[in-house]
Amino acid sequence: MAKIRDMIPAFELLQPTTIEAAIDLLDEHRSGAWVLAGGLDSFDWFKDRIKRPSAVIDLGGIPELTGIRDAEGGLEIGAMTTLTSIVRHPRIRSEYSIVADAAEHVATPQIRNQGTMGGNLAQDTRCWYYRSGWPCYRAGGNTCYASAPQAMNREHCIMGRSRCVAVNPSDTAPALIAVDAKMIVENTSGPKVYDAEDFFIGPSIDITRMTVMKPRDLLTRVHIPAAWANAEFYYEKVRDRGSWDFQLVSIAAAFRMSGGTIEEARIAVNGVAPYPVRLDAVERLVAGTSGDEATANRAGDLAIAGARALRHNDYKIPMMRNLVRRAVGSVA
Amino acid sequence: MEFWRSVANPWDQNVLIGVSWDLMWAAVGGAVLFLVGHAIWIKTRPAEAPQAPVDRAAAAGIPERIQRHSLAARIFHWTMSATMLVLLVTAFVPVFGFQFAWVQVHWIAGVLLIASVLWHVVHAIGWQDFWSMFQLGIDEGMAHLKHVLSSKAPAPPKAGKYPFDHRMYHHVIVVVSLAAIITGVFMMVRIDTPFMARNPYLFGDSTWGVIYVLHGLSGVALIFLIAAHIYFAIRPEKRWITWSMIRGWVDREHYLAHHDPEKWVVAEKVAALQGGTGAVADATVSAPRGED
Amino acid sequence: MAEKLIGADIAPPDLHAKITGRAKFAEDFRAPGMVFAKLLLSPMPHARVRSMDTSRALAMPGVIGILTADDVPAREGPREACLTNEPKYEGEPVLAVAAVDEETAAAAIEEIEIDFEPLPFVVDPLESLRPSGPNAYTEGNQFSGEDGWSQLKWTAADFALIDAGRMPNPTAPIEWTKGDPEAAFAESSLVLEEVIVHQSLTHHPMEPRSNMAYWENGRLFAFVSTQSTQQTKFALAGALDMDPEDITLVAEFCGGGFGSKISGSTVMQIPALFSRKIGRPVMLRITRYEENYVGRARPGFQSWLKMGFLPNGKCNAIDLILVEDGGPYGSGDNGTAGMTADLTYTPRNMRFRAASMYTNTPPKAAQRGPGGAQIIAMMEPILDKAARELGMDRLEIRRINAPGPDVTFGPRDTTLTSVHAREALDQGAQMFDWAGKQALSGQRNGSKVTGLGIGLSPYTAGSRGRDGLMLIRPDGRLYVHQGIGNLGTHSIADTARPAAELLGLDWDDVTIVWGDSSKGMPRSTVQAGSQTTHAHTRANHAAGMDALRKVRQIAAATLGGAASAYSVDGGRVRGPGGSMTFAQVAQRAIAMGGEYDGHVLPEDIHAQTVPAAQMLAGQGLMGVARDNYGGEGSIYSWVAGFAMIELDHDTGVVDIKEFVGVTDCGTVLHPRSLGAQVLGGCIQGIGMAMTQRWVFDPQWGVPFANRLYTARPPGFLDIPLNARWGAVGIADPTSPVGAKGIGEPPVGAGAAALACAVADAMGGVCLCRTPLTPDIILAELEGRVAAHGRLDQHVG
Repeated sequence: MAKIRDMIPAFELLQPTTIEAAIDLLDEHRSGAWVLAGGLDSFDWFKDRIKRPSAVIDLGGIPELTGIRDAEGGLEIGAMTTLTSIVRHPRIRSEYSIVADAAEHVATPQIRNQGTMGGNLAQDTRCWYYRSGWPCYRAGGNTCYASAPQAMNREHCIMGRSRCVAVNPSDTAPALIAVDAKMIVENTSGPKVYDAEDFFIGPSIDITRMTVMKPRDLLTRVHIPAAWANAEFYYEKVRDRGSWDFQLVSIAAAFRMSGGTIEEARIAVNGVAPYPVRLDAVERLVAGTSGDEATANRAGDLAIAGARALRHNDYKIPMMRNLVRRAVGSVA
Repeated sequence: MEFWRSVANPWDQNVLIGVSWDLMWAAVGGAVLFLVGHAIWIKTRPAEAPQAPVDRAAAAGIPERIQRHSLAARIFHWTMSATMLVLLVTAFVPVFGFQFAWVQVHWIAGVLLIASVLWHVVHAIGWQDFWSMFQLGIDEGMAHLKHVLSSKAPAPPKAGKYPFDHRMYHHVIVVVSLAAIITGVFMMVRIDTPFMARNPYLFGDSTWGVIYVLHGLSGVALIFLIAAHIYFAIRPEKRWITWSMIRGWVDREHYLAHHDPEKWVVAEKVAALQGGTGAVADATVSAPRGED
Repeated sequence: MAEKLIGADIAPPDLHAKITGRAKFAEDFRAPGMVFAKLLLSPMPHARVRSMDTSRALAMPGVIGILTADDVPAREGPREACLTNEPKYEGEPVLAVAAVDEETAAAAIEEIEIDFEPLPFVVDPLESLRPSGPNAYTEGNQFSGEDGWSQLKWTAADFALIDAGRMPNPTAPIEWTKGDPEAAFAESSLVLEEVIVHQSLTHHPMEPRSNMAYWENGRLFAFVSTQSTQQTKFALAGALDMDPEDITLVAEFCGGGFGSKISGSTVMQIPALFSRKIGRPVMLRITRYEENYVGRARPGFQSWLKMGFLPNGKCNAIDLILVEDGGPYGSGDNGTAGMTADLTYTPRNMRFRAASMYTNTPPKAAQRGPGGAQIIAMMEPILDKAARELGMDRLEIRRINAPGPDVTFGPRDTTLTSVHAREALDQGAQMFDWAGKQALSGQRNGSKVTGLGIGLSPYTAGSRGRDGLMLIRPDGRLYVHQGIGNLGTHSIADTARPAAELLGLDWDDVTIVWGDSSKGMPRSTVQAGSQTTHAHTRANHAAGMDALRKVRQIAAATLGGAASAYSVDGGRVRGPGGSMTFAQVAQRAIAMGGEYDGHVLPEDIHAQTVPAAQMLAGQGLMGVARDNYGGEGSIYSWVAGFAMIELDHDTGVVDIKEFVGVTDCGTVLHPRSLGAQVLGGCIQGIGMAMTQRWVFDPQWGVPFANRLYTARPPGFLDIPLNARWGAVGIADPTSPVGAKGIGEPPVGAGAAALACAVADAMGGVCLCRTPLTPDIILAELEGRVAAHGRLDQHVG
């Protein structure tokens, strides 16, 4: 069977109008179902005829999935809320600016108009071997082409690898980890709440998934607790060009300050592992300091402890270290 | 049922990547069928002719406890058992749908298995009667087969140290484990280990396909083999052997009932040790070499 | 009459249609019974079709037919057929399926059983030169028309030097020497020896090369995405071995080509041949993914450069070796590269050696400033290095080395019609405040370090001897027939201005006729080499003069008096005998016949112009003439680019703070359009040097950056907000209009200015490779060991 790319085949489109209906459809179709949010990840797969679900469940017609609401002192963002809405939301901009900042770093205005919170979090990796339809581990095969001796892997991971060396591409993920967000995942058994950093899983756990979500699951909303509102935030995304580009390395950090001292910090980095990495050890290191230069340097060095480069991505090690230094130093 | 898994490689060529996991289910199902079938067969099988009573005279000079497995051999066996179980669990439980970080545990268990097997080979060659395990006669096999097919058939001749079915099992497990080990060693070049740089291109796609298929086949075969092994180990009539693998020795009754003292000679040595502490015989001497 | 058109900002006539979306590009056309074709692309970089079974596909409802390599003209040697059974790169079209819609055609391709035999392949041109390296063709790696295939391998000694990072001394198929380089190096006070790599990169025009075609009564109607129009008709006729006059070629709009659609594309043959086979119109819409493969690419260079300098900064010797990635069907950027090096640095002693190597990578073709853009991007940072070593100002070393009007360059001592490179440098330096900004160079603000850079880039900018063809119809309007294409550069309209100006017409009285060969097109240039503005302002000037002569003669004949006493203005001709409208003149021309209405044509016009002129004869006053203005020397335009950047030493990210581009392109025809060309070209160069890329997996020979987001042409946020342009504005004396082309010179200037600015922000460290992505910059700043070899291309 010869292959052809860039030509979307017809698919069965199901358009539920309530969360319950969507969950029922997911339960009915199980692994044959594909959840369609903004479509920016999905249509790439469909166009290349690599993923061919038997049923596409479009969430675009479910009003309860869209919108940003005040909840328990914090905020609740519906999974189908567009990134543009997040960027423009006054409370997010003022109290959780890191989330707006991260969302604004996604691709382009057009993509942010279409792309959603849930889609940005649940999107698949951009490893080009995988996305070229090669039969790698993540695709159900038994090879990691990206870690071969001569492979082209400048955008791949420096930590957390397990057979697969792809990275998580989400810009909002580290920011949501920094504000201690909770992901609410529902299925026919009811809702389940995950800490943001636990929502993402590495290939050692399941090499074919990026998140905890299994076929029956639906990410319905993201809850941002009040605890980290108005903290000191630092977000930075390093990419090859200024727009429409995934991160090489990105960092999101939240610092709760008391006087000039960091009381508590939450720091996450993306682009360095198959999942966004929360830097617990660095958080502990910087707590109680002022984020001074010596602490920032130590934090940077600690962050990259154990990092291991592939052939072409050694630069990510100093890049990650420098970003951690900068983030910690930003409060000094 | 699918037997193989194949994919289109980057050049759109169809290549084998392993056995179908249907085979795993087949192995599980086969094992269950075999065990249940065997249990029913044993239950419903007409009673055998009573064995000739143990020749009391032959018991003379034979100690109460006869060492069947040295401590070293037992350590090997249980290490191997543990690693093998870990290997099976890490290999197949994720396929059953329970996801966990299995790869590292799997290859480390594999390395331990290899180490224990190497040690076993050295030990068997240097300190055990290596050939006692490798005695296989057509006549012996036929006699066993006839006896299995008909309880009326004469009881097959007693074995030396290792009963016929143990030797058979050992050979099968040697072949299957070696297949798993050798292919597994090659497969380690595809993952992160401290031993070598990853290189999926060490072999061509089709060679890798064969390696993966062999590894998979031996894996699913081991499901069956180990299920059967455990089953027999806990069967009441075989439990004395299991105990010997734990305690190291068999008692005189079982020795005389199941072994041919001609082929597994323990008396002379015991005689040499007589008057001593009644120490457990060193049972590494088996049938005369002259038969080889 | 003042020159009111030349130098004015006038919106081009296609603007409204483009902005409102009414413009019909090739893929927008429909014809009754039209079917859609999809392509089956080779999955391997080099393979042979062993067998195929199309029966299941053909049996599918809605599938109309299959076109295979056996149905299309085969090509011998390293020449490209539109379909092939021996693909030379991953993504090469092997067959096409036509169906009632694209979904069906794509599904049918998946039903085709096709078995490829993989063949040895090569992605890195240098590998093909290694003593036992692979060849892109089973027959060899070099081809000549006389001798056929051969193998070019460099010696182990050469590769010992190469692998040690030194300059080899190889034999090369292309070699020329002028002066005495060895003696000159001996006399030099500074000799730099460098290893430099320039990537190959795809063109990625906005519009992929989609095409539609059908046949009626033996006549081919082709709707094509192409840069040129008239020359594309001849190219298509040549490819299909048919009479060009049996083709109606429609190409009114083109969403860019950058050199990849000069005379259409190879895939434009597919709908034509397919339609002939199945008897229905066939549309082939090329997707972005396919465009990455069939859409051509700029060839990269792996090179060794030795440059000698006198104490005053004058370059007195160059030794340059280029290995060019020729792709599967060859390319010759190296020739221009060698010429450009000689022209820009005027060493007087130069040895040039080059080998273009076939590789199993997507085909190469001219890309905006082919050869010149690469070599300028590669050599300007070396000039900076020399300036640093010699303690000179970097502007000054360029001024010293830039050519003057007496320059001769290249192996045949080519001369120029005019050159004002120094003026461009000076004007740019003033606009940019080069002198005032010197203090900022290397200044550190936190982790950010400021860098300044200049890139001076020439490129060919004209040609001579084309024809102009126009009519003044009885409606009084001037219809300028253009055989050039509408590439989006506005030249389709702007080059008609000289004729309108000569005839004293308002622009509103001028209609541009273009984009449809059935409307009559004069012999034109291909829309390439930045020729069009120069060549067709001249040709239309000539035809305008012809029309003016005829207007005056008709007026004199009608109203009395001497023709020379008549003048034109505002759509009237006035003289001693009174005045006539152009409408009346046109009617008179038809009545008078002969040369006036085109029934008698000048003898020196090109044979390609004659059928068009004959078709238009009798419809009004015809201006038709060959450009006989002549002139000695090559026509080159220049751009001096100035960039200020901030390089973040923590991340390797470059932020362009300011950019200035100043051109010497003769008379300014259309300022707004010129600004778009100067800055647009510079931005394309910035992309070439900084963001855009190509990546191959060496094991499988397959490219990855095959989407726009992975290929990364620069986006809006990559270009400086503070970008300004200027023009020297000195007319070229050999043209009656004085305008030279501008499409290509800016690319090298943008690329080089950035490469130099980055090196400046790194304290003078030249990475000597493109693209200068954050990973490569940061690795250098952090002193990390680069995994790629110095000569490796396409490492991502």
